[in-house]
Amino acid sequence: MCKYCVEYGAGTKWYLNPDNYRDELYSAEIHSGTVSMLGGAGKNTFEVGAMAQADIMMTDLYNTGYFNMAVENMTAHGGQIVPLEDALKILDICQEPFLLMNCSCRRYFGRTDVKRCLFFWPVARTAIKERPWEKDTEILTKEEAKNFERECDKKGFLHSIWHAGVNSDGIPSIVMCHCTATDCVPTKFRIDYGIMNSQRKGEYVSIIDPLKCIDGCHSYPACQHRCQFGAMKYSPVDRIMYVDPQLCFGCGLCRAACPRGAIRLTDRSAFPSLVDNW
Amino acid sequence: MDEYYYVTPRPMIEVDTDLCGNAVLCLRCVKSCLDAGPNCIGFINSDTPSVGPGAPQQLEDIHHQIITTCMVNCNGCGRCVAACPNGALKLIMPEPQQPVERVQRCDIVFCATKRDGSITVPRD
Repeated sequence: MCKYCVEYGAGTKWYLNPDNYRDELYSAEIHSGTVSMLGGAGKNTFEVGAMAQADIMMTDLYNTGYFNMAVENMTAHGGQIVPLEDALKILDICQEPFLLMNCSCRRYFGRTDVKRCLFFWPVARTAIKERPWEKDTEILTKEEAKNFERECDKKGFLHSIWHAGVNSDGIPSIVMCHCTATDCVPTKFRIDYGIMNSQRKGEYVSIIDPLKCIDGCHSYPACQHRCQFGAMKYSPVDRIMYVDPQLCFGCGLCRAACPRGAIRLTDRSAFPSLVDNW
Repeated sequence: MDEYYYVTPRPMIEVDTDLCGNAVLCLRCVKSCLDAGPNCIGFINSDTPSVGPGAPQQLEDIHHQIITTCMVNCNGCGRCVAACPNGALKLIMPEPQQPVERVQRCDIVFCATKRDGSITVPRD
């Protein structure tokens, strides 16, 4: 568990602590401005605007270290990858209903709209009120939301949990996103620019059972394209897949693709070298 | 921050927002870059939309402008310039410069704050 779980998790992971889903957190003055910026009218101004600035500030990916430090001091943890099981547990803690909206980032790069942003109800109210031009939305019950998570896992969309600021009163979670590294602005910030706080690695890493994997996919590995972080590597000599724990984000999407069930998730803290690697 | 001296010229796209108008009504340059591959052009609302009784009800009612992102991926093909019906885009290829210092990008990034509270400053 990283330091955020230790401080805000009350014995479990920060996103599984029901205290972080209290209604009063969302309306508290410290968090309500961020809720409006990330869920309401200011959503694209912030995220797409950051993307527009990134090239200017980090031309040729230079100076990412300075930018990284500045973001770390300002925001202290933005979002985190979670596997399907933790995503379902998060939905269990949340109140019904959920609001499904189009992914904002994707549209602003010229791509077709896809409904993949699952807002939690206290924030959904803000989103509906402040973004009346988003007419293509759906209200989901808890069961429908959980089925949606399962479908996203099968299709290879990253589950990630996002929040509206770390403060002494807690961490209010606002939305579950189901993105891809090709569309998601914060994921791009993490992978392309190395900005830690825009997206943290999950609490797990993948492990492959070589006895189950070998010759399983006859040299066309089914899991490799699922990995959006480049952690899955195929050995044509050994005819098995290797996962690089240093690159793995613990999203677990590779498992859904494996026809032999050779992949499982284990705790990140089980690897001494990964204890500080988030 | 140190200045960055590049060896090869990096293309820049200059957008005349007056000639463009409301970008969301057209988006031809965005689509052309997406179809060509690099996807370096996007658009964004010019200001955060107002909230309350006067709030815009359609996406088209919000004024948007063209932005460039991920220009590291631009190869200077100029399709975006050709796609604009108003001639609002300009492709600028700067002159090559003599490198003053060559800096390596850092590829392994560790969590900046360690357990004991000390900070790692990633090598640039």
